[in-house]
Amino acid sequence: MQSANEPALDPGEAGALGASAAGRRWTRLKFQLRFLLAVLRARPMFALGYFIVLTIIILGVFAPLIAPYPPETANPEDFLQLPSGRHLLGTDATGMDIFTRIIYAPRIDLTIAIAGTVISAVVGSLIGALVGYYQEMRGIRAFFAGFVMRAADVLQAFPVFVFAIALVAIFGQSLQSIIAAIAFVNTPIYLRLMRSQVLAIRNMRYVEASYVSGASDVAIMLRHIIPNSLGPILSQLSVNIGWSVLLTAALSFVGAGVVAPTPEWGSMIAVGFQSIITGQWWPSVFPGIALAVTVFGFALVGASVEVLADPSRRRALGGTLRQKPSGAA
Amino acid sequence: MTKDNDSGWLPDRRAVLKGGAALAGAAAVPGALKMREAQAASPAGTMVIAAPATPQSLDSEYDVSLGTFETVAACYDSIVEFEKIPDSTVPSAQREDIKDYPDRPGRVSMRGKLAESWEIDQGSKWVRFKLREGVKSHDGNELTADDVVWTWHRKLALGAIGGFYCNTIDLRRPEQVKAESKYVVSINLDNPNPLLLKLQPNLYNPIYDSKKCKEMATADDPWAKKYIENNVAGFGPYRIEQLVRGQQAVFKGRDDYYGGKPKMHTVIFKEVPTSANRAQLLQGGAVDIAQYLQPLELITLKKSEGVAIDTVPATFMLWIELNAKIPPFDKVDVRRAMNFAFPMEQVVKTVFQNIAYPLNGAMPDLYPGFNGSYFEYKQDFAKAKELLKAAGMADGFETTLAYNAGDPVQEPTAILYQSALKEIGVKLVLKKVPAATFYNNVSERKQPMIFYYDSPWCPDPGYSMNLYFHSKSFINYSNYANAKVDELIDGAAKTADMDVRLKNMDEAQKIIMAEAPWTFGVFTNYSMARRADIKGWTYYTSNNIRFQDFYREA
Repeated sequence: MQSANEPALDPGEAGALGASAAGRRWTRLKFQLRFLLAVLRARPMFALGYFIVLTIIILGVFAPLIAPYPPETANPEDFLQLPSGRHLLGTDATGMDIFTRIIYAPRIDLTIAIAGTVISAVVGSLIGALVGYYQEMRGIRAFFAGFVMRAADVLQAFPVFVFAIALVAIFGQSLQSIIAAIAFVNTPIYLRLMRSQVLAIRNMRYVEASYVSGASDVAIMLRHIIPNSLGPILSQLSVNIGWSVLLTAALSFVGAGVVAPTPEWGSMIAVGFQSIITGQWWPSVFPGIALAVTVFGFALVGASVEVLADPSRRRALGGTLRQKPSGAA
Repeated sequence: MTKDNDSGWLPDRRAVLKGGAALAGAAAVPGALKMREAQAASPAGTMVIAAPATPQSLDSEYDVSLGTFETVAACYDSIVEFEKIPDSTVPSAQREDIKDYPDRPGRVSMRGKLAESWEIDQGSKWVRFKLREGVKSHDGNELTADDVVWTWHRKLALGAIGGFYCNTIDLRRPEQVKAESKYVVSINLDNPNPLLLKLQPNLYNPIYDSKKCKEMATADDPWAKKYIENNVAGFGPYRIEQLVRGQQAVFKGRDDYYGGKPKMHTVIFKEVPTSANRAQLLQGGAVDIAQYLQPLELITLKKSEGVAIDTVPATFMLWIELNAKIPPFDKVDVRRAMNFAFPMEQVVKTVFQNIAYPLNGAMPDLYPGFNGSYFEYKQDFAKAKELLKAAGMADGFETTLAYNAGDPVQEPTAILYQSALKEIGVKLVLKKVPAATFYNNVSERKQPMIFYYDSPWCPDPGYSMNLYFHSKSFINYSNYANAKVDELIDGAAKTADMDVRLKNMDEAQKIIMAEAPWTFGVFTNYSMARRADIKGWTYYTSNNIRFQDFYREA
């Protein structure tokens, strides 16, 4: 069975598949890369998104090599210095270098956002698959499916931010608590997304054929349903990571996030914003820009994944790309 | 562009846009005018104050929130008050004269408020007040000795903040407060107590209108707690016209106040939680006074036209409790090491912009008997390391410092301290506690280290030392216990001989400074941020403002 997520090969590319498996893989990879580059050329905003996200990740990973100052050590002699050659983005009220802290921040922000989002995606998708698969059946499993959906309704009825603050307040202010809070508030999104996908797929012929051939429910779900439902989940994932970065920062802004003086954009904004009226704009504005750019980057990546994960839109884009050279000739 | 409607009765897009813009402009005019109105100066007799919070409960027996202080000060009067003198640093400001006067009765400089005169026993065992005649309450009831008696009986019965004051002066039984006649009341103690008179002007010793309170009392609530929580029943210069908690309180000056109608007949007390917003409102002229601004805001506002900032020495102290019941702070050497590592100079310079100065003692330096010479904790990492080694902790240790999320100076102070402590191998984990639960954390005494910001309201060394260092005090939040210190404090509380008391307190200060139950922080001073035309400010040891002091200069 061809997965809905596999790239469509044109006859020429298919013919190029050689005798060996390695050769076939290499050819496919080359095609995928060429396709990706063509997509990025056709949609430069997607390229910008990938560039932003990769840059943020690289800065975070190599922060100890790049940063000119320690990120958590106060330097009172240099407090509230304007941006200069010595301190590229200035210093905060305790003399910490803002550039240093901004490039260290993704280590925390992205860790929390990615961990929280991935956990919610895995848990939400699995539950969503079960719910979608059993919803139209009878008995206890259908009751369970209905119950889960109503529970998700209740969870989603709460304002997400307030709910996250409450969770952090209950479980204490720690990295794990924030990750758990983000995972918890995001889970219903994936649950609903996966359920709707499964509801559409579970009555398809190949699923029925699998059922008739004696495959178990688990096997059907794992082999046939979930892999074919992943497209929207993947595109949601990237958007959600950006949103989770924002939520992490918001939690820190209100004091429910990371512990001071951990470099984190939200807490940097919170500490710095009070100084705006006294003329010291840089402690909050630069972390704000970093946060906005990161969220924007993830939103663009999410938009690209949405296109690439949707076979019809991908084929349409692929067709456009192939037509362009001939049209130009 | 071709028009779709040739008949012309429908407006084209440009016309719609023009009309829309005109409408939007027209709609914005009232808003702009309103904003301008808000920015404009308040009328002569009206004063607008931006405060961090509106009053919660109005009952001084139970509530110590910021807005409640101002309400109690505006709506209630005490029996006597300290004389006022010009402040030595800001001559245009007044302050209470809290010096020790050995040649005066009770060794204080006071004048009558609800009382017109008083007599006090040489040994401070009794005091007798002659009340003013014809003083009316908010509800029109005349002040009599019964009001004073009822007020003290309420304190004894409820046993909360007032109960603490009763204990402080060793008042045990209701019959010790006696109405001698309609206008004469006496307080009679079993033992001499030096605070008998000094405690009377305390902000939280207001006199209630007992007639009104008895009217509002019920069998379940004989002391009218429910009524006093939401209403005022006193003899002060203002009454509350409106209280919307979380938004604003409006106070109106009383025409029939015995001291004359207040010059500011209307006071609007607005809740503006963020200090930056309060500063901005003051700068723009939308408010006349902005309370509790941050040091950097004060420095910036000093340069603003039409704004005046007055900073005077105050009783406010900021320190860090080192919990003596939680290791390693049970060791004196460790506590001393923590003090030698504290970056005092940097904190004063960066966090407080030099508005504060080092807390070099165990009580306000304004109070009689203060001795700053026992302070030895200039930052010295070598000495701190030596002390840790002597305590068997040469490799350092890890501990937690809790701080108030609602006080913007605490986090940077904690971060500077954290960085300094790394130098002696101490890992300090910072714990941000929401403002709403911070004082629960303080009073539970379960944190190894926690900030505390306070001021003792009675200008007396014995009172101050008893509050923070007596092992049985309910606000000895560091759990500090030293039998000798207890003995010295108890001794000072039982004699009216000021020389003996001062000697005792000096010895106690010496021990306390050497044993360092706190990381000594800073005296923060008190800064009044006001529009320049607002005059008449008086600094009180209770660190609150009293609306009746102010007037607007023409």
